[in-house]
Amino acid sequence: MLDQAAWEELVARFDGRMWAVARAFGLSPADAADAVQGAWLRMVESLDGIRDPERIGAWLITTTRHEAVRLSRRARGEVMADHELPDVAGPDPAAAIVDADFGRHVWQRLHTLGEPCRSLLRLYVLNPDAKYAQIAIRLNLPVGSIGPTRARCLSRLRTLVQDDDA
Amino acid sequence: MSEEYLLAALRMAAGVDPVPGRVSADARAAFALRLPGGVIAAPVRVSAPPGARSATAPGTSPETGTYGTAPEGGPVMRRFTADGLTIDIEPAVVGGRLEVAGQVSPPPGPGWEVEVRTAHISKTRAPSESGHFAVSGLPPGWVSVVCHRPGLPPVSTRWLHVRA
Repeated sequence: MLDQAAWEELVARFDGRMWAVARAFGLSPADAADAVQGAWLRMVESLDGIRDPERIGAWLITTTRHEAVRLSRRARGEVMADHELPDVAGPDPAAAIVDADFGRHVWQRLHTLGEPCRSLLRLYVLNPDAKYAQIAIRLNLPVGSIGPTRARCLSRLRTLVQDDDA
Repeated sequence: MSEEYLLAALRMAAGVDPVPGRVSADARAAFALRLPGGVIAAPVRVSAPPGARSATAPGTSPETGTYGTAPEGGPVMRRFTADGLTIDIEPAVVGGRLEVAGQVSPPPGPGWEVEVRTAHISKTRAPSESGHFAVSGLPPGWVSVVCHRPGLPPVSTRWLHVRA
C-alpha cells in the first residue's frame, strides 16, 4: 500500500505529464487543473484495485485523458455521462511514453517537416493558448486554413514518429 | 499514439506551459482524502428520480439515462449505492458556491453522519430522521459525499465534478 512519501513520488513523476496531456486537449488552465485533480482523486478511489505499480503512470495519464475529453466536450456543450472510467487494469500503453525525452525525439521529426507544417506546429506547440487568428497572422495564412492544416501536419508528424517505432 | 500525446511530449521537451505549483500541491494533498477501510459507492442510473431538492430533475434524460449535466438548468439527482446503503445527491452551483442536498437510505441509525468533501473543505452534518441533509458554501469542482456509520465501514460516493 502506498504511503504519503510514495504518493508524492508519483506526483513528482507524473503530474507534469498529466498536465501536458490535459492541455494538449485544448483545455483552459482551469479545466486542465480540474482534469488532473480528477485523475488523482480517481487514483485515491482506486488504490485497492491497482495491483501493478508499473501500470500506475499509464493509468494516471489515461485517466487524465478521459477527464480531459469529458471536460472538452462539456465546454462545447455536449452532454455526456460522467461515470465511465478507464479500466484500472487496462491503461493505454502509449501513455507511458509521454515525457520530455520522447518529446525531444518528436522535435527532431518535426524539424524534418516542410512548410507550412514546421512553422505552424512550432507556433502551436510553443503557444498553448494562441488563437488560430494569431497563428494565421504570424504565418500569413488564411485563418480558416489553420485548423485543417494543423490536423494534417500533426497527422504527418504522427506517421513519421510511428515509422520510427516500426 | 494519439496526436495529443505528441503535442504533450513536444511541450514537455520545450519546457513550455509547465504544471502550475498549485496543481501539484493539490495532487500531493489528495492522498489525505483516501478512506482506509471505506467502501466506494458506484453511480446508479435513475430514470425517475424522486428529487431530494426538487420535484423533478429536469436535466435527467429517461431515454438515455444520461446524467452529468443539466441542459435546462437546475440540479440533477445522482444515486450511488454500496454496502446496502443508497446515497442520493443533488449538487448545484448557486451564486458561484456549491450546494449539495441529498438523502441517505435506509433511514439513518444513531450516530450517523454525512460528510460532504471537496479537495480543500469538508462539512459534516447529522442527517434528519428521514435521511435528508444539505450543505452549502463549498467551492465548485470535485465533490464526494461520505456516510459515516458507527460500527460499519464508511461509504463514499465516487468523486463527482460539478461546475456552474
